Amino acid sequence: MQRRTPAAMRLLEAERSEAIFPILLEEIVALGHPRAMVLDVDFDTGEIAPSAALKWPRPQIGKFSTQIWSPDNPIAGVLNSAHPAAFPKTSLHNRPLYVHPIFYSNNAVCWEAERVRSANCLAVQNARREKRVRLEEQTCATCEMRAYASIIVVELGKNNTEAALAELSQIIELANRCLSRIFKVEHYYNRMRDMEITIAQMGTVMQSMADPVILTDTQNRVMMQNCAAERFFKVPDEMSEGLIRAVELNNMLFSAALSSMLVMGNDAHRDLTLVDAIEGEEMLFEAVSGPTYGPDGNQIGTVTVMRDVTDLRRADQELWLNYDKLREAEEMVRQDRDRLNLIIENVGDPIVVCNSAAKIVLTDPLAQELFGSSSPEVPRDALLVRNQSDFTNYISSFTFSFAERETAPLRIYNPAVKQTIEYDARSGKIFDERGQVSYTVTVLRDLTALRKVEQLKVERRMLEIEKFAATGRLAATIAHEVNNPMEAIKNAIYLLAGSVPESATPVYNILKSETERVARIVRQMLGLYRNTEQVKPVSVNTIVEDTLLILSRQLQRANIELLTRLRPLPDAIIAADQIRQVLSNLIINAKDAMPNGGRLHIRTRHIHGKDELRGIVQVLIADTGTGISPEMTRAIFEPFVTTKGEKGTGLGLWIVKGIIQNHAGKLSVRSRIGKGTVFKIDLPVVKS
Amino acid sequence: MSANSKGRIMVVDDEASVLITYRLILEQQGYSVGAFSKSSEAIRALEEEDKYDLVLCDYSLEEQHTGFEVIAAARKRDDCVPAALLTGYATRETADEAASRKIVIMFKPIEIEEFLATTASMLKGEEECDQESGQKNTGTQTGT
Repeated sequence: MQRRTPAAMRLLEAERSEAIFPILLEEIVALGHPRAMVLDVDFDTGEIAPSAALKWPRPQIGKFSTQIWSPDNPIAGVLNSAHPAAFPKTSLHNRPLYVHPIFYSNNAVCWEAERVRSANCLAVQNARREKRVRLEEQTCATCEMRAYASIIVVELGKNNTEAALAELSQIIELANRCLSRIFKVEHYYNRMRDMEITIAQMGTVMQSMADPVILTDTQNRVMMQNCAAERFFKVPDEMSEGLIRAVELNNMLFSAALSSMLVMGNDAHRDLTLVDAIEGEEMLFEAVSGPTYGPDGNQIGTVTVMRDVTDLRRADQELWLNYDKLREAEEMVRQDRDRLNLIIENVGDPIVVCNSAAKIVLTDPLAQELFGSSSPEVPRDALLVRNQSDFTNYISSFTFSFAERETAPLRIYNPAVKQTIEYDARSGKIFDERGQVSYTVTVLRDLTALRKVEQLKVERRMLEIEKFAATGRLAATIAHEVNNPMEAIKNAIYLLAGSVPESATPVYNILKSETERVARIVRQMLGLYRNTEQVKPVSVNTIVEDTLLILSRQLQRANIELLTRLRPLPDAIIAADQIRQVLSNLIINAKDAMPNGGRLHIRTRHIHGKDELRGIVQVLIADTGTGISPEMTRAIFEPFVTTKGEKGTGLGLWIVKGIIQNHAGKLSVRSRIGKGTVFKIDLPVVKS
Repeated sequence: MSANSKGRIMVVDDEASVLITYRLILEQQGYSVGAFSKSSEAIRALEEEDKYDLVLCDYSLEEQHTGFEVIAAARKRDDCVPAALLTGYATRETADEAASRKIVIMFKPIEIEEFLATTASMLKGEEECDQESGQKNTGTQTGT
């Protein structure tokens, strides 16, 4: 009894777990046992290895190392059974052994289990032996403590009575109780240290975040914030009115946002505009808040993480802007396409698009009438199929030709008019980026109408020529028949001059002037048909000069200023006398159009033709006279149309036109009332 | 008014009224005029009578006869004699033939002043022709 008390005292005095086993081993030996050792169990590796020994020779100690699941090893067996056992003699040792397993065990639940009000504490379970101790379950379900397990091995001395073994067991159990208590305290110390490390790590993480993170209490007071948040919410050391106001404003805004977010509930999002206290810029944040709870499950505060979305918003806005632009462009493309479709639909000519294999891929409604619908369901007319093959023959030769565009006649049956029509096929190629023909486009022009118009024009012209000739012939016949009697009348009047009584003189004068007028008409009518003159190369300038020589006196008397500009001309093959008649007619007309005087411009020039061989000699005769009304302009070239009343025969311009047409030339007139009139003569010349 | 002093002119026209007025006008000017309405009569006169200083002849005469025949007859006698065709209408061939034979063409209706001026100048040309070489140079163109 004297010995036992000090042993217990010694164990109680131990303050660290590693002090327990040395005391235990000493006390065992003090009980009279020759030697003892402690084997530790490593649950991770399954190793059982000696950790301390007393009075045990070193070479023998190693023999005791083993594995948890070694089936025949007595030590492993004792550990698995969880009950101490005595062995008289084993393969390990030739003396009797006492083997006692110890596990982490306490009578009261540990603090963590107490806090969470759980009875599920491993230490208590081990102590009460409620269940069989299972080696694989030596981790606490509540505090995650990893329990220890050791085996005390004692070589028994001579005194190995029941009482002696009980005493041994008692001291080992006592030691285990002390060890368990110290182990528990150490475990919680380690936990605290781990938590500190975790908190430090969390703090580092929080500080290193670029986004502001703020922890607030239930009254929205800031409990913790990182550097990024301080930038906005902490009053800076460097005090300035603006900064303080900015920070105050930010805090206010944040409080308000936080309150509204709390109302909204968990994981609330909110946009928040803050002022950067240092840069002074406004920044847009998206704030995300979440509640934090205390150990009792009550909310103790709010964590708010703010994401700077200024750039994001800007990018977003830009994205929208680009999207809008894209849509606009798309809209324009669509409009263009619609417009193009509208044009195609309204071209009024059949349009056919073929692919590179000369197969028809697209047709407008007009082309569909000729070639049928491109959809295969619609049954086809045999004639349309033939049209299609005719067209395909044509278009494939074009597709494989070198020409980029081509115009060719193409005969196609038109079902609308039930006959074959000659179309003008105008084809062009569309190339892909590699320069290969991807499509051909063909517009078919129905030339029937055009031909008809051309035909009509020719016929009308023929008719006009015919009319002119007929009129001429008629005029000549009449004139010839009138001519002789008139010649006699005129001569007779001439002969009567002088012998007419004075009272009859007015009557005589009427007779004379009217006869002269008829004579003038007849002379002009016949003048056109007197092909008495040979054509020969002559300069129109010479004819102009000759004519003006004769008429210059008349013009002068009429107070008309003559302005000529005669440019060098090639000789024209013309009947000089006829052209002279043309010029004198036009000049006299111009003079008559300027009863109060004016200016007469006469200009000639040579217009070179495209081929250097042909050309035009142009004569302009312009007056500043009274002008001719537009209705009259159309009629003045007709016979017996005159603007001069009694004075004119109405044949001058008709004859002028006839002469110019006989020369294959052109005569045109431009006139404005009150401004004047311009006659233009174009005579063709051929370079010899 | 000595007829012989101004010259002797033959006028041929199948229209009697025209023929008479021409004759009267020319006689008024003091010419001696021989007037014929048929080519056959004119040709006979040219063969039998005195020579004429000037022949003025209608182109189309009776029964498809033309003034050329009369003028040819006159030229047979005097190859220098000036001659003019009076006509309302002339084809290209007629004009060409007249030009080659140095025959003047006067188109009806004729301004009387012009008619008289041409007549006078033709008579004057005849004298020059006679004096120079016997070849007659008539004016190629009447005025308009």
